[in-house]
Formats: sequence, C-alpha cells, structure tokens
Amino acid sequence: MIRTAVCAAIAFGFIGAAGTVIAQNNKTITTVVKIAGIPWFNRLEEGVKDFGKSTPGVTATQTGPAEADPAQQLKLIEDLVAKKVDALAIVPMDPGALEGVAKRAMERGIVVVTHEADSQKNTQADVEAFDNAAYGAALNEALSKCMGGSGKWTSFVGSLGSRSHVQWADGGAANAKKHAGMVLVDAKNESLDDANKAYEKAREILKKHPDIKGFQGSASGDVIGIGRAVEEAGLSAKTCVVGTGLPSQAAKLLESGAVDGIGFWDPKNAGLAMNKVAKLLLDKTPITDGMDLGVPGYNKVIVKKGPGVGVIIIGRADVIADRSTYKQYPF
Amino acid sequence: MKAILRDPQLNFLVGVNLLVLLSATALSRGQFMDPYNLQSMAAQVPELALLALGVMLSMISGNGGIDLSGIALANLAAVAAAALFAPLVSPEDAPVLYSLGFAGTALVVGLLGGLLNGTLIAFVGLPPILSTLGTQLLFGGLSVVLSNGSSMRVPSAPPLQALGNGDLLGAPVGFVILVAIALALGVLLKYSPFGVRLFLLGTNPKAARYAGLPQRRLLMGTYALCGLLAGVAAVLIASRNLSVKWDYGRSYLLIAILIAVMAGVKPDGGYGRVICLFFSATSLQLLSSMFNFLDVSNFFRDCAWGLLLLLFLAMSGHTFKTIGIGRLKGPALRTNAPPTQNPPASSSHSRG
Repeated sequence: MIRTAVCAAIAFGFIGAAGTVIAQNNKTITTVVKIAGIPWFNRLEEGVKDFGKSTPGVTATQTGPAEADPAQQLKLIEDLVAKKVDALAIVPMDPGALEGVAKRAMERGIVVVTHEADSQKNTQADVEAFDNAAYGAALNEALSKCMGGSGKWTSFVGSLGSRSHVQWADGGAANAKKHAGMVLVDAKNESLDDANKAYEKAREILKKHPDIKGFQGSASGDVIGIGRAVEEAGLSAKTCVVGTGLPSQAAKLLESGAVDGIGFWDPKNAGLAMNKVAKLLLDKTPITDGMDLGVPGYNKVIVKKGPGVGVIIIGRADVIADRSTYKQYPF
Repeated sequence: MKAILRDPQLNFLVGVNLLVLLSATALSRGQFMDPYNLQSMAAQVPELALLALGVMLSMISGNGGIDLSGIALANLAAVAAAALFAPLVSPEDAPVLYSLGFAGTALVVGLLGGLLNGTLIAFVGLPPILSTLGTQLLFGGLSVVLSNGSSMRVPSAPPLQALGNGDLLGAPVGFVILVAIALALGVLLKYSPFGVRLFLLGTNPKAARYAGLPQRRLLMGTYALCGLLAGVAAVLIASRNLSVKWDYGRSYLLIAILIAVMAGVKPDGGYGRVICLFFSATSLQLLSSMFNFLDVSNFFRDCAWGLLLLLFLAMSGHTFKTIGIGRLKGPALRTNAPPTQNPPASSSHSRG
C-alpha cells in the first residue's frame, strides 16, 4: 500500500518537475556545449538566449553534460537526435567521438553546426572565431605597441604539439618583422599549459636576458605565470606581457600592470554566430565568402572548404583587452 | 512465474521502467515512443550495462570485491586494437578479417587485463578496491602511451559498422549482444558449478575455504569475466563511435556502480541478479533520455538518479536490517542458506 502511494507520488513528481510545453511550430536549435555550468559556457548561453529572443520562429536553447566526459556529451546528442530537433550547434569535447552521431543526425535531416572543431568531418559548417595567424599577429601588434616597437621579446606555447598555439606564435613572429627594432629570442618556450611551468620558464629567461622587454603567451595560464615572474622581479613597468587569457583570471595582474594585454574571444558572440549559421542552413540560404552574419566580429567571414562535407567559417572575433577594457567581459 | 513476481527488487525496477516510459511518452506527446528513439536508447544501454555486469560479478565474489578498472580497461582494449591491430590489415581489402581481428584484439586485451586483476587479487592477495584502482591507472597510462593522449580514428569496415550501427530485426546489434550476454551470464550464475560456488564464496569466504572451494580459481575466473565484458564494451564503443580515446566515459565508473547497487547487488557479496541489473541499467537510460527530451538540465538528472537510489534503499531498508540481525546470530546461520540467488532474508519480502 505504502509502496503504491510512493509510486504514485513519484509519478506526479515527474509530471510536475517536467511540465514544459514543447512548442511545435517553432524551429528548434539546440546548442550543446562541452560542459554545463562553467563561466565560459554560461557566457555562450547568453548569446544563445539573445538569438532566441531576437529571432522570430526559432526556439534556441542550450544544454550540456554535467560532467566533462565526451561519452556524456555523446549520449546527450544521441537523445537530441532521437528527439529530432531541427538543428544542433555543438561545441565538441572530442570531435572524433562525435563523428558517428553527427553523421546519424545529418542522415535524419538535422542541421549540424560545430565550433572549435576544424577537424570535424561530419558537420555542415564549423564556426571558428578567428584565423590563427591573424590572431597571433594581433597579439604581437599589441605587444609591440607596448614595447614601443623595439627590444628583445620571446614567445610561449602550451606545447609544440598544440597546432593553434604554434600558429599564434608564428603569426606573432611574422608580425614582429614589420618592426625593425623587435628582436625575437628563444622562441616558443613550452609551458605545458601550466601557469607554474610558465612562471619557472619566465624566470629562467629573465636571468638569461636581463634586458628582455616583451613576452607573448599562448595558453591561458602563460600570462599568469609570466606576469607573476615579472612582478616578483620588480619589472612590471619595464616589461610588456601580452597573451591569451581570461579576464577573470588575469584581472589582478592586469590591475598591477604586470600583464599589459590579454587576447581572447567572446563566447557570447560565438554562440550567436553558431545559431545564426544554423538558422541560415535551416532556411537553405547559401553561406558565402565575405558574408555578414550580423554578429560582432563575424561581419565579414572567410568561408573555406572543411575536411569533410561542410565548410569552415572564420570570423575576426578576437578581442585584445587591457586594463581599461577587460571589465566589459564578465567571464 | 510466481517466484519471479516475488522478488520485490525486480518488481520495483520494472515498475520504475514502466512509470518513466509512460510519463515520458505522455509528457513528450508520444514522441518518446517513436521507434527511432527506442532504438537510440537501446543502442546507448550496452556499454554501461556491460561494465555494470562486471561490477556485479566482482561484488558477488565478496570480500570487498569491486572492479574499478572496467572503463579504463575497455578504453585500453579499444585503443590497443586501433593502434596495434588496425594498421596491420586493410579494412578495404579484407573487411571481414579486419573486423574479426579488431574485435579479437580488443577481447584478448580485455581478458588479459582481467587476468591481471585476478592475479593481483587471488594470488598476491591485494584488496580488490586497491588493486583495481591501481590497474585502472595502469590501463589509463598504457592507453595514453599507445595513443599519445589524443583520440584515434578507427578505420571502418562494413562488418564492424554493422556491429555498431546495424539492426537485427529492428533491435540494435549492440543491444542484442547485451541481451545474449546477460542470458548466458544468468544461466552461468544460476546453474553452473562456477556460479553456485561463486555465490557461496561471496556469502561466506571462510566457510567456502573450509569447504574446499577453489577460491583462487573462482576469483581468477570472476575477474577474467569482468575483463572480457570490458573487452566487449570496447568493441561496441569503437564500432559505434569509430573513434577511441583513453579518457572516454570517465563518468561511467560511478554510474556502473550505481546501476549495480540499484539492482540490489549486495556490496558485501553473495547476492545479485542479472535480470535486475538489466532493468536497473534500462531505468537509468530511460530516465536520462526523458530528461534530455524535456530539456531538463543534466544536473537534475544526476539528482534524480540519486533520489531513485535512496528511494530504492529506503524501500528495501527492512531487508538490510534483517540481514544485519542474521549476521548477529552468527555466520553459521548464513552458510546454511541454500545456494540460490535469493538473499538469505528473501522470505521477509513476501510479507511486504
């Protein structure tokens, strides 16, 4: 008897907890991120919500696994494919693991758009925030401005195996050639994506080159480690540090002047751009080179062929922020 | 038939399955019952259910038996097959040989890993939780070495593809394999000398030793079976995703244990039913898919799983109490129990 009552209670609980009405007329675009509930993807969700609000005829939602596990993301997408949403905008945790389900989704008539996955074969469009070489050059331009266009500088990468980091460092080196006074020394130090390793490496370099004036970082911990080393050496004012970093993490060092600039891309705009591309594909609008997606940083996108059936869409959505502007980005 | 209905565990689990299926169908306006969705869910169950079967076997063996290395071993088996076997045979020229060899390599690696666990536990005498924790790290490390830490593509061949994505009379092949394995294991546990002895060993290891049961051989067999199950999971993962990675499914470990505990497998050993485990696995899958269908956060899903487990424990609470009392009366009482799969306290269920 008690058992029956408990069962009934659960039944009502389920119905109560999930009493959502599914709107059938709207096109549903579901964004699936690597992991739900972290600042980076909360910021991306703002873009998804903005898109849903400003676009009639579209229901845009975001979801993601509770744990950072490619298998959980895969299961989530399997269910969404079974549910037959109209479009999926995916930020893959491991592009390889999703090839199978992305293929099944496309066979079922679902539009598939990805982000940060230019190696993904089964996607109709992969949205990249920027071209790697151009981003590296932009970081370096900020560095050379800070250095006054002359002096010794060096670059850091997470690891030499990290393709994007190496492209950023090379793009930076190419840009530095424009300034005759910039001298690159000991390029591409490996920080192993570890702020402590970056700190130790930076201390070694400060010892070896006491007159070094600039550091360009790649991994998000690089500027943190280098900034700490520079601050401890009392060189905050004389040395320039610019690199990829998150505003929330680099705030203290930006305020103290140890770090002079950070580069990143705003996930909110990436979310907007992904959903916009999904909508274009749903409307069967061709995506062309030089197109304006109507999203900041994606006003004149480069479109090229991807590794599989789809295209790669490259924006210019990188942001270089300094002490006066980083507060605009709450993530 | 009456005997089947008398197991409250099974009734509870089947009830949960039906309840979730019905409420999900009602809430999604029938969409949930779409054949595609049923197939999709059936295709998702096997990897986890196979690993949970391994956890169940190790728990039944008693003496703190548990297998924490399941998913790590499955990943190692898949990575080893992709890294060591796949380059040897061309999937285009010899698709059948390639597929068989790929699956064979994964199964052999799984078996070897299981034998290693068995050796550590049965012969070296390490506690299962520590030795499988150790091998979990070892298997993970080996997969990183073999794959360089990145995900590896598995070249596809039609037979391998059929395994991962094909249907057999409308049911996904992986699901059919799971059902076949579950049936075989059920028969093995219930009717073979191995199964009967394993339950005895789990119920009271000391009495089992004095009765002259080949303890080491039993443990060895149990963990070898666990490894083999991980190998089968590896083949299914590789054939479905066509990509393998050392840290795939790192959340599976705890979910597999959750499935086993919810199926009423006793962590102290000596009791566990394959059919309960099967329905326990499907109920979690149904619940998870329902939440995904209704756009409910994945965090809530974890919370619901936890609630379900607590509810289950509360409902079987008096069973655990009776077992506790039985233990106070002395172990001799428990060893006298017939070697069936029912817990010693099963008689108390029929009253409820």
